[in-house]
Order: sequence, then C-alpha cells, then structure tokens
Amino acid sequence: MAPLLEAISIGKTYPGGTVANDGVNLSVEAGEVHAVVGENGAGKSTLMKILFGIEQPDRGELRLDGRPVAFANPREAIDHGIGMVFQHFSLVPSFSVYENVVLGSEPRDGIRFDRAKAIEAVRALSEKFRLSVDPLPPVGQLPVGQQQRVEILKALYRDARILILDEPTAVLAPQEVEELFVAIRALVAQGRTVIFIAHKLPEVLEISDRITVMRGGRTVGSVGTKQVTEDSLATMMVGREIALRVDRAAARGGVTCEIKALRIANDRGGTIAEDLSLNVHAGEILGLVGVEGNGQAELLEAVAGLRGIAEGAVHLDGTSLEPLSVLQRRELGVASIPEDRLARGLATGATIAENLVATRLSDRRFVRNGLLDLKAVKAHAAALIERFSIRAGGPGFAVGTLSGGNMQKVVVARELAEQPKLLLVNQPTRGVDLGATQFIWKSLTAARDGGAAVLLSSADLSELLALSDRLVVFYRGKIVAAFHNTDDLTPETLGTYMLGLDTQEPETMRAALQ
Amino acid sequence: MSSLSSTRRAVFLRELGRALTAVVIALVVALIVIFVTSANPGAAFQTLLTAPLSSNRTMGLWIDDVAKLTLTGLAFSLVFQARQFSMGVQGQVYVGGLCAALVAMSPIGATPLAIPLGMLAGMIAGAAYGFIPGYAKARFGASEIVSSLMLNYIAILVVNYLIRAHLAPPGTGQLMTAKFPDPAIFPAIIPGTRFDLGILIALVATFVVWFLLYRTNWGLKLRLVGHNPKFAEYAGIRASFIMVSAMTVAGAFGGLLGSVFVQGRAFGNLAQNFDGNLAFEGILIAIVARSRPLAVPFVALAYGYLRQGAQLMGIRTDVPTEMISVVQAIIILLVASSFSLPGKALLARLTGRRTVPAAAPEAAK
Repeated sequence: MAPLLEAISIGKTYPGGTVANDGVNLSVEAGEVHAVVGENGAGKSTLMKILFGIEQPDRGELRLDGRPVAFANPREAIDHGIGMVFQHFSLVPSFSVYENVVLGSEPRDGIRFDRAKAIEAVRALSEKFRLSVDPLPPVGQLPVGQQQRVEILKALYRDARILILDEPTAVLAPQEVEELFVAIRALVAQGRTVIFIAHKLPEVLEISDRITVMRGGRTVGSVGTKQVTEDSLATMMVGREIALRVDRAAARGGVTCEIKALRIANDRGGTIAEDLSLNVHAGEILGLVGVEGNGQAELLEAVAGLRGIAEGAVHLDGTSLEPLSVLQRRELGVASIPEDRLARGLATGATIAENLVATRLSDRRFVRNGLLDLKAVKAHAAALIERFSIRAGGPGFAVGTLSGGNMQKVVVARELAEQPKLLLVNQPTRGVDLGATQFIWKSLTAARDGGAAVLLSSADLSELLALSDRLVVFYRGKIVAAFHNTDDLTPETLGTYMLGLDTQEPETMRAALQ
Repeated sequence: MSSLSSTRRAVFLRELGRALTAVVIALVVALIVIFVTSANPGAAFQTLLTAPLSSNRTMGLWIDDVAKLTLTGLAFSLVFQARQFSMGVQGQVYVGGLCAALVAMSPIGATPLAIPLGMLAGMIAGAAYGFIPGYAKARFGASEIVSSLMLNYIAILVVNYLIRAHLAPPGTGQLMTAKFPDPAIFPAIIPGTRFDLGILIALVATFVVWFLLYRTNWGLKLRLVGHNPKFAEYAGIRASFIMVSAMTVAGAFGGLLGSVFVQGRAFGNLAQNFDGNLAFEGILIAIVARSRPLAVPFVALAYGYLRQGAQLMGIRTDVPTEMISVVQAIIILLVASSFSLPGKALLARLTGRRTVPAAAPEAAK
C-alpha cells in the first residue's frame, strides 16, 4: 500500500539563490506520528510550506494516497485534508474560541451565522480529540497552551486528515507538553496522521513513531524512533559529534546586582510583577524560570532601562539604576541580549558593522567630533566577526542576509565585546541551531567566568538547567520558588511551580534567594 | 570584498531595471493618451520625448526643475530614512520662500549679502517649520503626517494672503511682489537661461545630506532609528531627539528650496502658489531613489526630463493640458507603485521573511 503522503526529491530555490530544499524525500504512513527534525536552516519549514501549499516546489512531486497532487495555495491543501498549526498562531484575540475555530467556514442558517451550531461543533470536536477548551471565552484571555488547542481545532474543523505541527512545544510548559502529547495520541488513535516538527530531541523520541532527519536542505534519512537514541539523532542532525555540556561556575563573588521589592507596572498602572527581591552575584548565572508572560521579560527590561520601575529599587554595585538612562546603564557595565533579535536586538537593514557599533556611539574610538571613524568601525566589526566566528560575507553586509544563528551571534558579539558587569539575557538560543547554541552557551559562561553577574530567562527549561547556578520561578508576576541548581532538580519540579500547582516554604525560598 | 561589491551591483541593477520598466510603461500609457486626444500623435509624442533638449532655454528649464526636484527629494529622503512620514516640505518651501523674499526686499537685498542671507533666512524658517510636527509628535504623540499636511495649508494660505494684502506693489492688483534687486537674484551660469546657481546648490546639498547620513554619528543614529526604533531605544539612542532633529534638518532643506524658488531666475520675486506643487513630487523622487541621497539627483534628472517634456507638449501641441496632468499622475502612480507595493511587503512578511533568512545559510559565504 502506498504511503498516505509522499514527497519525492523536492527541490526549492528561493529567489536570490538560496537552496532551501534539494532532493528532499518524505514518506508519511497513515496513522503515525512522523517527526521531522533538523537544525534551523535545514529546510524543515520550507518543506512544510510546500506540503501546505504556501510555497511551490521547483522540482519533485507530492503524492497523496499514491496520486500526484499539487497545491497552488493553502486552500487547496486544506481541501485535500491537510492542516497546519504554525509556531506563531493566527488567531483573532478578541474573538471567542468557537468564532476563531469556524472563521471562514461558518455554519450558516440562511445568511445568518448559526452560532449555536458552531458552538456545538466545537464542543463535539474538543471532546472527540480530548482537546478540552471552553468555546465561549475570547481567545486572547487563554493561556498559550489553550490557544494552541484552538489552532488544532481549527484544522480539525476543516477535516484535516494530516496535521502538521510546527515546533508546537516551543511555547509550552512541561505539563502542557504532556497534555499536547495526550491530544496527539488521541488524534492518531482516531486515524489522523500527525507531522511533528521539532528540535527538542527528548520530546521527539517520546511522541513520534518515525523520524525524518534533515540537514542543509537534504534529507539525511528516515528512521524508526525505537532504533535511535538522543545522541545518535543529534549526530545525524549536525553531521558531527557535539556535546551540550557546560561547566558550572567555580566560585561566585560578591553581590553585583541587588533588586529590592521591585514592582513593575504596565502603561495603565496595572501591576505586571511585584515584590521581586533578588541578589545576583558576580560570576553566577541566575535563571529566571516561568511560562512566558509571568514577569521575567519585564524584570529584564526594567533592569535594562527599557521599562519604568513603579516601586522598589535596582542597584548595581551600590549605584541605583533607576534615574539612569539606557546609555548610562550600559556605560556602567550593563549588557543585554534581548528576547527577540529581529524586533529589538538588531536593525536588520543596517550593516553588521553598524549593528555592532550601535551601542557605542559615544565611544571616542568610533566617534570623534560627531564624525564616524569608519575605519575603526570596520576593524571593530572584522575583529568581532572573527572572534565570535560569525559566518558572513564581511562587515558591510546587511544583518538581514544572515541566518538566525549568525544574527544571534551578532547580538552576542556586540553585548560581550567587552566584559560586562551585569548581563541580562532573554531567550539566547531561540530559533538557533545546535552549533550556534553551543557557541552562545560558551560565550555566556565565559562572561560569567570573567566576573559578570548574569540574569538568564529562557522558555527552554533544559537550557536554564544546563546554564544556571541558581533558579527562581516566576508565577503571575511573583517569585514563587527558588533553587540551587543541583543534579536532582528536574524540569517537572520546576513545572509544578511554573503552573502554580505548588508553593515553596518561605524559609527554603529565602535560603536559595541569597 | 568582491562578493560585496557584486551584490551591491546586482541590487543597483535590479533597482535601475525597475525604474526603467516603470518609465517604459508610463510612456506607453502616455502614448495611448496622446493617440486618443491628439490629431497628430507622432509629433506630440516626439515633443514629449525630445522637447527638453530642443534649445538652451528648454534645457535651462529642465535643469532648473532638476535642481528643485533634487532639493525636495533630499528633504523627503532625510525624514524617510528616519522612518518619519512628515509631508511638510511644501509648507517649508513657502515659509522659507517668504523669509528669503523678506531679506531680498529689505535694504540688504541690494548688497552682495542678499543671496547668502536670503538662503540662510529660508533655511532657518524651514527648519523651524519642520521642527513643529516633530516636536508635536515627540511631546504629544501627534501624527506627523496629519500635522505636517495641515501646516502646509497654513503656510501656503498665509503666504498667499501676505502677498495679496501687503507685499504686492499697492494698486497694481498683481498677485506677486515686485522683482527683487539684481544682487538678490541668483546669477545665471549660462546667460539668458534658467541655468543658475540653483543646480550648484542642489549638488552641494546632495553631498551634505549624504555626508550627514553616512559619515556622522547623528546620521548613523538616524538610520538606526529608521531601521528599527525599538532597537535604537534598546541600544540607548534617544529616538525622539533623532526624530525631531531629522525633521528639523529636513525642514532646513525645504526652506532652502523656498529660497532657491524665489531667488532663482525663474521667479526673482515672491508669487502666489509659486511652487506649482513641485515640492510634493519630492516624495516620488525619494521613493524611487530609495531615500539614498546620491541617487536623488539622477532620479530628479530623469523625472525632471519627463516632467518638462510633458509641460512642453502641453504648450506646443494640441494635447490638452489636463491630459498632461493625467500622464504625470500615471507616471507617478506606476513608478511609485512598482517600488512600494504594500501588498508585496505584507506578503513577504507573512510568508517569506520569517523563514527565508533562517532557511538561508548566508547569502554569500
């Protein structure tokens, strides 16, 4: 019997000459969970876009049930029973769950939108596939995990036989990941097929039946999940042996940054986070744990000077940071790697050299009498490109032409060009391939060993556990738990606090907060 | 760095190709309009294509337009590079022209200081007029598009009123002032034509804007704010200061254009509605030149040629003048839309941009 969905020697070259897919083969059997893994830039997203009709292949052929098909647009793919859930949801926040699910294919009663029928349909679907969501509240009020279910329901409502999930676990807490896996198993049990894109290998090994590995735009191979281990899979992905191990800090120094009873408010004065008290020592990495949106990002922004402090104080080596501008804080030795490199960390239209010098425009090495010393700017860039092994054509190339990992290296290079005293890091390796991740981790630990106090926030718990010396857990804008990072600290323990399922004894917390 | 220069050349050729395509399409449309409205379409079309070169005088007209289009194009390029959409060049031209005229009509007008002081007065007035929408945006969050457009009307109407009620020679009923004294009017480079100091001022201004943007600290900050204001804030650049100062400096160039208008040989006095809407065409110049100051004079050269050809066609042939405006509008529409298709950008953001850089292992290794 022919596989349900087959892609045969797919080739795709983007305008500009980037070969995203080159002879890619994928064969998905009905009723299996098929994982597609690979580093960023391996061509996974392009392949999925071709399967979903967003992009058209230049070469090769798609077959559904053994018959050749071609999708000119997503509509046609949906009509053939293919559904896709993107990493970035496309939901209308102010619309209710059921409105979002049926949007575009509303049940009608004459020309009227039959709301009762829509609600009924959504209820029935969520029961059938164990995706429990209340159809009535607006989507914007739901946590991320629930929003994702709405996306999956959207695809199922359109009768998707094959469901493509693009990095579905990236935004979820461990418990939510478990629930997602329950739903995926329910889907498969009812005869649906799931294609699961990921780069967190333990999850892939847990949920999938078969794995296709991609590297550099080609398929490396397709293996049964039972025949591989995490290590052998990582080697297939990267093409060489890699070790993601980090040495813990040797010894920490005195308190560098002291945060006292900090309250952070939004524009309308509402509290985002309160009662935050932390000490960060020189030479340690303090991990901020929490589901996104619980105040970690805001804390980092407040310390960096991008957000006001409503109450409380932040001191760096005894100097209050509150009255200082972003630039003055930077001059004191604050460096910051922001959450979203494209939104905040880089000017993608500007050149690499310009990006690397952007935070040093009052430095006499680069600017004298208001004039740029272009030679110095270029030499500075060339040195950092070398030191941080950024793969780029040269200092004069626009940052936008780099791959995600190399863009992030530009950010890291700029912030760590000089040893900082206080380093604020948010999602340092999101969307970055394993090779660059390894390099960025090394750079962070090197800064720590150089005496920096590091505040690290990440959605990736394994990253936090690998790098942090201490961890504090945020839940609804408050610190609810604190730990010294030991080998017996597990993601599950952190997860119970992240979701507010458990609270820590005040004494235990205070001890770990010092 | 040969790979860098080759990618730059590729980009340059692509942009050039686009501009030429748009011009060709515009010409085809113009040809259709001419065929529909003219008894002798061949002659009319020939006039459109060749008239600006037909004599020293018409070449002077063309170059005069090029100088003015360059200056307005530079003013728009500056604010566009900071991603501000201040549309205030026209208002700056009027206040700048008014102040230059006041200098020229004062006793200073008869001295050799008339030209530099007139230009300076125009620039200061234009800068002040450009500052207002910038400050209103930085301080009160007022949309610079709306406030600058409204300020245009205020400037035009106030200047027109002043000319009619106070500055025109009394009793003549003229809607313009008397001619300025000779020392206040730009000298001609080629006698008997409009080929005057204006083009030199435009070229110097081009160099100055380029230098400001690409060689100074302020220019780099301005461009970084334009690329990504949130990044600028994070990097410690005071975005609101850059925003206001960009609009102010652009205003100075707008005011300078006012002085070039009234003190140039084309006028030599202050007349009502003197800019003939040319100030606004700087938007087109800036868009086609991608806000690159060094490209602005070349775009102005090409666009000015078409503009002058169309005007001469209106004068010399039976193609009605209204049709000239239609052809001009079509040229603007085609050229502008081929460069800033909003749908294209949106599509790229939705599909390509997220993944193309990620899927691309470096554009050039």
